[in-house]
This record gives sequence, C-alpha cells and structure tokens, in this order.
Amino acid sequence: MRHSLLHRLGQSLLVLWAAFTLSFFLLQVLPGDAILIKFQNPDLGLSPAQIAQMRLAYGADSPIWQQYLHTLLAMLRGDFGYSVQAGVAVSALIASNLPATLSLALPGFLLAALLAFALAALSRLPGLRGLRTFLQSVPALFISLPTFWLGIALIQMFSFQLLWIPVINPSPLQGLILPVITVAIPISAPLAQILLRSIDEVATQPFVAVARAKGASENRVLWRHVLRNALLPVLNIAGLLLGELIAGALITETVFGRSGLGQLTQQAVNNQDVAVLQAVVMISALGFVLINLLVDVLMPLLDPRLQPIPGGH
Amino acid sequence: MKQRFHLQALTFALLTGIFSAQAADTPVKGGTLIYLEQQPHTNLYPPAGGFYPNGGILNQITDKLTWQNPKTLQVEPWIAESWSSNADKTEYTFKIRPGVTFSDGTPLDANAVAKNFDTYGLGNKAQRLPVSEVINNYDHSEVIDPLTVKFYFKKPSPGFLQGTATIGSGLVSLSTLQRSFDQLGDARHIIGSGPFVVSNEQLGREVDLVARKDYHWGPKNIQQQGPANLDGIKIIVTPEDSVRIGALLAGQADFIRQVQAYDEKQATAQNFPIYAAPTRGVNDSISFRPDNPLVSDVKVRQALLHATNAQQVVQTLFSPNYPQATSVIAASAAGYVNLSDKLKYDPAQAKQLLEEAGWHTDSDGIREKGGQKLALTVYESPPQPQNKEVLQLVAQQWRQVGVVLTVKAGDAGSKTLDNLDPLKTPLTVSEVGRADPDVVKSMFYPTNRDALLQKGGSSDKVKNFRDDQLNSLLVNISAEVAPRKRLQLTADAQRYLLDHAYVIPIFEEPQVFAGAPWLKGISFEAVGRPSFYGAWLEKH
Repeated sequence: MRHSLLHRLGQSLLVLWAAFTLSFFLLQVLPGDAILIKFQNPDLGLSPAQIAQMRLAYGADSPIWQQYLHTLLAMLRGDFGYSVQAGVAVSALIASNLPATLSLALPGFLLAALLAFALAALSRLPGLRGLRTFLQSVPALFISLPTFWLGIALIQMFSFQLLWIPVINPSPLQGLILPVITVAIPISAPLAQILLRSIDEVATQPFVAVARAKGASENRVLWRHVLRNALLPVLNIAGLLLGELIAGALITETVFGRSGLGQLTQQAVNNQDVAVLQAVVMISALGFVLINLLVDVLMPLLDPRLQPIPGGH
Repeated sequence: MKQRFHLQALTFALLTGIFSAQAADTPVKGGTLIYLEQQPHTNLYPPAGGFYPNGGILNQITDKLTWQNPKTLQVEPWIAESWSSNADKTEYTFKIRPGVTFSDGTPLDANAVAKNFDTYGLGNKAQRLPVSEVINNYDHSEVIDPLTVKFYFKKPSPGFLQGTATIGSGLVSLSTLQRSFDQLGDARHIIGSGPFVVSNEQLGREVDLVARKDYHWGPKNIQQQGPANLDGIKIIVTPEDSVRIGALLAGQADFIRQVQAYDEKQATAQNFPIYAAPTRGVNDSISFRPDNPLVSDVKVRQALLHATNAQQVVQTLFSPNYPQATSVIAASAAGYVNLSDKLKYDPAQAKQLLEEAGWHTDSDGIREKGGQKLALTVYESPPQPQNKEVLQLVAQQWRQVGVVLTVKAGDAGSKTLDNLDPLKTPLTVSEVGRADPDVVKSMFYPTNRDALLQKGGSSDKVKNFRDDQLNSLLVNISAEVAPRKRLQLTADAQRYLLDHAYVIPIFEEPQVFAGAPWLKGISFEAVGRPSFYGAWLEKH
C-alpha cells in the first residue's frame, strides 16, 4: 500500500514536470513574446535601440535551454517570475485570482448539482407525470442559453430594474448570487441529462422490478432504489465538469467584472505573458493530479468491489 | 457604499431644475466617488501613463512640475513656481514650490525632481525603466540649491517645458524610483505627491484612493485649493460596456469611462451628462506603409484617401462628440491647420487615379495590375473606439472603387510582429494624444512610433522606404526654438503628410465619460485624462 502510494506520487511529479516542459516549449513557438508586445507598444514610444536594450535586460534573447533551466529552477523554489504586462509578481496575481475563482466555482457547482438533481427527481415524481415532457426538455434549454446573455439578463433584471442586488461594490455574499446562478445553469444541464438517462437505465434493472414486486411504493422505489444507483455515472462526469467550470468562468467573470483565473488567463494569452500562462498551466496540472489522487484513494471506499483483496495483488 | 436608485435620481433631476443656481457654487465635502473603468491598469511607471486606465490613476496620485491649462494650452506653475530657459532651449531652470511632500513624508525638492527627470530622460537599464517618449535630447540635471534644479540638453528641446506637464512626467518619490519596472504594476508602490493616495488594491479588479488631508499644492491658477473635496475614490474595473452604463443609470456608480457612442443617448435622455474630453493629438487615422509595393505609388494612396468617406463613418458609427478629422491633428491641437480641401471624398477621382496608376478592374470588379490584385490587410486596434466597425465601413467604401481591404483581428504576438512587416500589413491604425507640436514627430519619426515604417526605424524588415524631407521637417519641429516658426513647421508637416497621402485621417478621438447628475466639478487635463481633485458629490 505504501509502495503504491509512493509510486503514484512519483507518477504525479512526472506529470507535473512533463506539463511544465511541454507548455514551456509550446509557448516559445508562438510568434512574438511578452517583452516585444509590452515594449513595442506605441504608448511607450520607444526607439528600436531602446527596445533592444530592454530585451537584453530581460535576458529575452538568451539561448532557450538557459531560459528553460532558469525558469524550472525558479519554479522549484516557488518563484513564478514577473508578469511583464501587469508589472507584478505572478504569485501575487495568482493569490488575488485563485480564491475568487474557487469561491465562484464551488458554490456554482453545488447549485448546478442541486438543480440537476431537482430536475431529475421532479420529472420522475409520480405526482408530476403531466409535466414530465416539459421538465425533461429544461436541460436542453439550459444548455443552449449563452452564458453572456444569461449574465447580462440577470444583471438587467435583478440589479438595474428590480434594484435587489447591486452589481457594483456588492457585499461578498451579494457579489456571488448572480454569478453563481450564471455559471450553475449551463453546468446543471449535462448533469441533469446524464442523471435522467441513468435513471431510465436503472429503472429497467431486475432489482427494481423485485422491489416493486415486494410491494414498495413508487416513491420509495424512486428514492431508495433508482436514484441511489443512478448517481454513480453522474459522480464520474461531475469531476470533469468541475474542471470545465473553473476554466470556463471567463465570460461570467467578464460580465460581472470579477477577478479570477479565467480573466487572468485570457489577458495573459492576449499579451503572451508567458510567466503567467506557465503558472496557470502548473496550477491546472496540480489540480488535475490532486483530484486524480483523491479519486484513486476514495473510489475503493465508495465501491467495495474496488477494494484490494487481502493477500491478493 | 450605499446604493442610489432611480427614484432618487429622478427627484434630484427635478430639484436641480429649481435650485441649480444656488447649489453649483458650494462644493460638498466628503463622500466616496465610484468610478468604473473598462480595463485594469497595467504598469504604472509614469511614462507608461499614455494607456487610458493608467492615466486615470496617475492623474490623481501624482503632481507635475507644471500645469498645462486645457483651455489655452499655456504652461502654468504647479510644483514649479517659476522657470527660465536659455535662448537655445538647451538649459531649463525650475524653482520648486517649498513645503511639498510625497505621501511617504519625504520632501519633493530639487533633488527629487532631478532624480525623476534623470530616470525619465535617460531610462535605467538596471531597473529596466524605459525612457519617456515626451523628453527629447536629455543630457543631465544639476541641483543648484534645495529648491532649484537645472536640466541640460544635448540639442534644443523646445517641447520639454510642455513635457513636464504631461501624465508621463508625474513626479514620484525616490523610493518609487528605486524599484524596478517589474514592481510598478502594483499601484501601492507608486508614491506621488498628488491630492489622492492609493490605500488599497485588488489586482486587476479595484483600486482605492483616499484624499490627502494635508494637500495644499494644487496648481495655483485653478479654482480648487487645499485638499480634495472627496474623501476617496473607488476605481472598479467593469469590462462589460452595458454593465457600466447600466450601473451608472441605476445609481450604483458616479462616473464611468468609455461610453460607446450608441449608449450616449441613453444617458443624456435621463439627464446624465456625457463628457467628451479631446485628446488633442494625431487623429484616429489609417497610416500607409509605403515600403509595400501595393501602396508605394502616391497615386494609389491618394486614390484610397479620396475613396474614404470619413463623414459617413462619423455619422453612421459615432455621435457629435467625435468630430470628422480636418487634418492630421485635431482642431484643438497646437499648430493645427484646416486641410479639409485635401480630404475630399471623391470616388470618381479615386477611380481615375487608380486607372492612371495602371490598376484596372477585372471581372469581379477588383483592381488588378500584372496579375496582382489590389487587396490590402489591416489589423483592428481594440483601444480605438469601434475600430473594427470603422475599418469594415472603410472596407465597404474602398470596395466601391475596386479595392479589397481585409480587417484582421490577431493575437497580440502575431499582430505586433506583422505590424513590423510592411509586406504583411500595408496599413495600420494610428492615434496619439499630446498637446504639443512634438506629437507629430512622436507619431511619424522613424525612431519614435514610426507609423509609416521607415528604413532605419523600428523594423528591420523595411527595404527602401524613407522620406528624409519629412524627417527633417519632424526633427525641426522638436528642435525649433521660435514658437511661431515651430507652429509653421507643424503646419508644413501636416500638408506634407496629406500631399503624399501617407495618412487618411478619420475622426478626432475623444475620451468619452458619463457622470451622474449629482457629480460636480469634474475636470480634464489637456489630453483628456480625468481629474477628481475638484470633484464633489451633491447630496441626493
């Protein structure tokens, strides 16, 4: 057990190193670089000789292997370098953006799961048969709402017309309500669809028929037998969706003027701010590795069939 | 900060109709102004203050040696009480106002001023601080006594005095100058002597300013004296256009930057004033790169100039706050001459010029010569208002005379590289604000912004094109000591640029803001950056 954990840890480090190396060289291939973009900017009005001096000062023209080693060693020391465009340390940028992203993504994900579950359960409730077709088409509607439009519509209605929630200078809680709804709705749609399909599948399984034959009520069959078993495939895709949520929060962040990793990444891509992009890649890779480790450790607890057999291999 | 809502705004609008005469004269003290910015600031090294969001912050937290009166464009005293220069304009001596301090408590004296201009004039390689665009021919400084500083120049530098009044010459403390360029993106690191001080910052999201209670060294020729009326300013980055204007009208903000022309009516209809501050420099224009063989013939360039209907652009896409260009520089700029007779829209003449140049239409109606089509590309320039729409409309106009213009939106890297290659981008979008004739040299001189891409300029991809006659005109503007002669040269340069059809001026670019009706006393410096020093919030 200890051996396999060490093995997994070693694998994770290898993945991180590969992510670093790959992204470093891919970013080098892009036309231009951050220093050129920053100093060639007409707003600074620098002469070519002055720009060349700046490039020299930044070591931008030193051999690529030197830059690679320099960046790798710095990152191992926890130094992510400076953002040329923003003029601050990358670690400061991450520190001010990561919490904002997490505070939007986690509640957004919870709300999405809640919405999906509510939709699926409602459409299966014996008392709501008449509404079933409508409820089942809601995910399709949700998934086709453009995030941009949804965000603006929510702001126009709840902030500018009804004046319930200020969008400028809100309290931390007020500032979360509309953006969380905006990110949750499109994410809830695929969750709901998979849950619905999974319910349909589970409902045809023999043990459901057995439960019915034993005289369980329709409600009991739904809650105790069908829904519980239908949840497994949803949990699998939920991990993926959480990643998408964190990466895809860009539009929501822009519309609501929130900071966050999406916003940061977009600006960094725009300005080819390599140090920032490198840090974002590393954070994503780290998150991915951690979630995988966590899943590997947790899965046997959830599904007894995955537990190692004592004495076996 | 409390919210303000429609009803209050409406009540206010009704009340002002009755009490406006009384209310206008007595500024209210206190309150925090909510200012919505479109983009986060970048590096706040003062010479990088040309970027609108940077200027919006620097103009509140730094003072300048001199103050340029935005009405008369005269340079008047501020931190410098008086000054003198020799006849050659190679030496300037400034007397510093006593008792001025930076917000960290250190004195703003001759030594600090000398260190500021040594950095801006020469740059600092070790700290990666670049040279300022507004200072030409700088040599060194000399501290004569604690309140007297003298600057020496290698060649005449008549634009220097005005240069000391620009955002790029904001004075900062010695501790700020000791930092490297990499650290100056944090607004808290910029220690100035201005009426406001940065108290807090959430990177990329919000900058909070508080008023300095001991401030008493504003420009002596303006109405506001002593500390600012406001307690503070909250600058909040709100990228989405409709959210900025919506928040202002809903009473959640007091002042917003970058109002799109199509949103102006919405504001004025509810009595929210629009402020269109002129930037007084080179107009929003299309510049040619004559090194590209497709546009190396002056007849082709003239044809495209006459095929461009700037009036249609302004009327279709903009509001009266965006005047149609009548020369290379804005009508409110120093040295402007009206050259609208050279800018006539005349498609018939355009077609004739293209025929004369040997470009004839093929079966698609596109002009062709030696098997090559007259097809040009240009990159859109997002900082300019509605630039994509402007270029697309121009493309339609050019199509009428058989010329194809493709408008590209590229990532910054490809765009920066392609823009250095005249073969890839025969045209570029140009605009720069500065209220001094030096602005013309800034835009077109090869070792400055080099808008035309000349040989020996910013790009090593240029093979032949160089216009020494133009360059000597530009150098003379920046070195001519006699003011009248200098304006004359500026007029000559504008004529020269249009006679050779190097640029197609479209409109005079303003910075457009909208404010709440209860916000008073807003002013703008000579190139349109807002100043909140005299601003106040009326009770509402």
